[in-house]
Amino acid sequence: MPELKRTQLYDVHVAAGATMVDFGGWEMPIKYPTDIVAEHLYTRHFCSLFDVSHMGRVLVEGPETVPFLQHVLSSNVKALDLNQAQYAIIPNETGGAVDDAYLYRFEEDRYLLVVNAANTDKDLAHLSEQIKNYDAKMTVITGDWAAIAVQGPKAKEILQKLSGGEAITEPVKNALNTLAFEGRTVRVAKTGYTGEPIGYEVYIETAEAAWLWNRLVELGARPAGLGARDTCRLEACLPLYGHEMGDDPEGKEIPIFAVPLAKFAVSFSEQKGDFIGREPLAKQYEAFKRIQNRDFSDLTDLPRRILPITLLDKGVMRAGMPVYKGGRLIGYVTSGTMVPYYRHEGEGLQTVILEETAKRSIGLAIVDSDTLEDDEVTIDVRGRRLKAVIAPYHMRVDAPPFARPILYRPDGEEAAAPSGDRAPKVLELLGRAVENHVWRQEKCVNLIPSEMTPSRAVRLLCASDPSFRYAEHKKVKSFYDADVFYYQGTEFIDEVERLLVEEMKAFLGSAEAETRCISGQMSNTCVFSALMDWKNHLNRKQDPRRLGYVLNNHIIKGGHLSAQPMGALHDYIAIDPVTERQAVVNFPVCRDNIYKIDVEETKKVIDQYRPEFIIFGKSMVLHKEPVAAIRKYVDEMGLQTTIMYDMAHVLGLIGDHFQKPFQEGAEIVTGSTHKTFFGPQRGVVGVNYKKGELKYGLWETIETRAFPGSVSNHHLGTQLGLLMAAYEMNQFKDEYQAAVISNAKSFARSLKAAGLDVAGDPAIGYTETHQVIVNVGYGTGPDAAMRLERNNIICNYQATPEEEGFTASGALRIGVNEMTRFGFGPKEFDQLAQIMADCILRGREVGGDVAKLRSGYTEMKYCFHEAQVMDALNELAKKSGI
Amino acid sequence: MNIPAELKYTKDHEWIKMVGDATALVGITDFAQSELGDLVFINLPQEGDEVTAEESFCDVESVKAVSDVMSPCTGVVEEVHTELEDEPQMLNEDPYEAWIARIRDITAYGELMTAEEYEAYIQK
Repeated sequence: MPELKRTQLYDVHVAAGATMVDFGGWEMPIKYPTDIVAEHLYTRHFCSLFDVSHMGRVLVEGPETVPFLQHVLSSNVKALDLNQAQYAIIPNETGGAVDDAYLYRFEEDRYLLVVNAANTDKDLAHLSEQIKNYDAKMTVITGDWAAIAVQGPKAKEILQKLSGGEAITEPVKNALNTLAFEGRTVRVAKTGYTGEPIGYEVYIETAEAAWLWNRLVELGARPAGLGARDTCRLEACLPLYGHEMGDDPEGKEIPIFAVPLAKFAVSFSEQKGDFIGREPLAKQYEAFKRIQNRDFSDLTDLPRRILPITLLDKGVMRAGMPVYKGGRLIGYVTSGTMVPYYRHEGEGLQTVILEETAKRSIGLAIVDSDTLEDDEVTIDVRGRRLKAVIAPYHMRVDAPPFARPILYRPDGEEAAAPSGDRAPKVLELLGRAVENHVWRQEKCVNLIPSEMTPSRAVRLLCASDPSFRYAEHKKVKSFYDADVFYYQGTEFIDEVERLLVEEMKAFLGSAEAETRCISGQMSNTCVFSALMDWKNHLNRKQDPRRLGYVLNNHIIKGGHLSAQPMGALHDYIAIDPVTERQAVVNFPVCRDNIYKIDVEETKKVIDQYRPEFIIFGKSMVLHKEPVAAIRKYVDEMGLQTTIMYDMAHVLGLIGDHFQKPFQEGAEIVTGSTHKTFFGPQRGVVGVNYKKGELKYGLWETIETRAFPGSVSNHHLGTQLGLLMAAYEMNQFKDEYQAAVISNAKSFARSLKAAGLDVAGDPAIGYTETHQVIVNVGYGTGPDAAMRLERNNIICNYQATPEEEGFTASGALRIGVNEMTRFGFGPKEFDQLAQIMADCILRGREVGGDVAKLRSGYTEMKYCFHEAQVMDALNELAKKSGI
Repeated sequence: MNIPAELKYTKDHEWIKMVGDATALVGITDFAQSELGDLVFINLPQEGDEVTAEESFCDVESVKAVSDVMSPCTGVVEEVHTELEDEPQMLNEDPYEAWIARIRDITAYGELMTAEEYEAYIQK
């Protein structure tokens, strides 16, 4: 027996009373005196430390590093950006796994490959044989740098105490960063093997390893051993070499595509070229796609797959136990044990994680590929046939900061609407509608920045006759571009639309305006669709090419959902063949102000990607967008880039007090008409293309993508209401916009003075828009927003640029626009700031104070109040019966 | 390590406590539970089962593995400590209170040790 190897932290483990075992030739802690169950639970609710220094760490460098890695790994190494990591499999010639690995790019030209401890020698032998053909070299640094996994919902907070508050990494999986922990250089990866949504792996020089471990323990993290690491990874359904990779319990090699993660870890990109195992993997992939489409006619290349399995009877499944469907053997458990979890109660965001714990018997199994989710099976547990079921997953991580256990439950029957008399329901509905209206309009202070109560005039017009009509129309060249309507009775709405277009052009400062889009998102869809159509208009004989590269604000940095690939860009964005990702890049933000675009860095991005389309605009927005600076640079570079400003949130601020997008160089502006603007819920597109210009063709395409591309019926009631809103805006915008912006700055100052943590730059009064962002503490945004709602203050919780997603939100997004319209000024916002601080910081119930404050401000400003207008409105109400 | 003087022990780390002429409680020792670690499941025998000295009559599962529990005596299961099914951690927390089964009509015993002998045995 060769002597067991020890990691840099061996002495620390022994001193902590760990039970040490042989693991792949290393003497490692299997558990500490706390034991596995407690270690697992502590990982899930707080933060655990795992010594992962036994894993093989290899630096790869040299001119042919990338071709070498492309040849020996399953992944697309060219898709790996600086400060990113990727999961990869080291395939063999037959499509099985030599090992699985993680590839890190902390440096431009050097890659760190991390492999399983027990496989390191085998992997190195395999890789050394391959690297001979490349001008690249490998250096094993396992002994030089220790590796500590810091995993659990508190991991970020704990590490930030060591970084002096500096962000550890970007808040996305696989992000990397190099920074200092109390003066010592560390390399940190947002990766891990526990499934924790907040988990990091920290690399530190050997000499500092024990220091870091002990500091982390002082800060509240607790050591956890390989036992808890295994139960955590099993709950997260992560594969383990030797169980889910390598040979199966029958001794057959497990094809890589049997592992669900293979879908992400294997690339057949042309850029990647040939690589070890490509041919059998391509066959497995074809089989995988057939199986996913439930075509089980040919399973030769992928006879079995690894799926989550849950025991329904009492007992414990273990690796190697046979699995049966009916009487037929369909496979084997590959990993299984009893895993603890915290019970929870409540639904949705109100879910509360209890202190009470329970255990469940879960595993992974390699089973015939025609096995489906929810299939009932049995497991032979030492002679007893126990009932089990194929589960979709055991845990989910899409509601950070917590990993959420998913207990198997079959789909329940949906409750159908009961039959019977609807009259009582009608009364109940009407009663509740009144109650809601009174609450929102008389008792609540509404601070949602994307909402606006329209004036009575707008609301009456929205509900009047045109709201049930159609008025499809299209310009016809034969009639010198006159609009031709398809239905009769549309003379009035025709005129309304022409007037609205003129008002919107005047407001936007645009050459043209399209007002038929019924939402801001639809406006964006229209533009994206038109741009793509325009891009392909000279060649209609092949599949149209999509847009790319597109430069926009990342959603995490406040980017508008409607301008994201997951939003309106979805069907129009190209896939970059090199990276196999959507061809979107994001505006870099300033290091000292994450709410602001960094213009100089943006220029570098423009140089690199030469975007064909730039989309300014955000939904979490504190600053003006640098439209003029970027326009100037794009022009200097001689690029044909189209520049658009999605002004959904700030449409109503266009003008002297904020930005004039077309004067600054935007070509296209889209917006929604009901956030800072005064209208009902609709959208608008404006462009500065003039007749005779080349890009006027793009404008005409936008019109056709509005109708018939997006709407048949463009909701004539709200279009009529919008004309009134446009009159109001064009009449009162100067005072309204000045009031909104000074109120926002003043409210921000008051909130700060009241003790709240207001985001942004105090030098400019925190904000240049209608929005104020208040930090309330990581992950506590939803709670704070719900508490405010109970107290009649309506705003929304918001993930800051450093947070992982909405459930981890630590901020509130506040808008002053609607309350400004109801007459709030600095005095009222100051009072409100005190009330909010009482509620958020001191937990006081303030609902009564809020209702009292609101009761004095129910009459709308910045609209027409003249007696004649009032008479006319009353007449409209009377005649229309509204 | 807790080894109560009034009990008898087996080399497989079970204890037996006589509660009548031919009736006894049986369980696993403190040493056994600490070696096994967190127990997460117990597969209990059933009332009326005939058990044989030094043969498995039950098994316990930790996170990592399953272990047989050997009967210290030959007899019939009179009563099973069913609470353990939902709370197997009682075996970790208080192994001598967490008896597994009461055996009646005992006709034979396996090789048993006194507390002193058992203490010496586990220190070997």
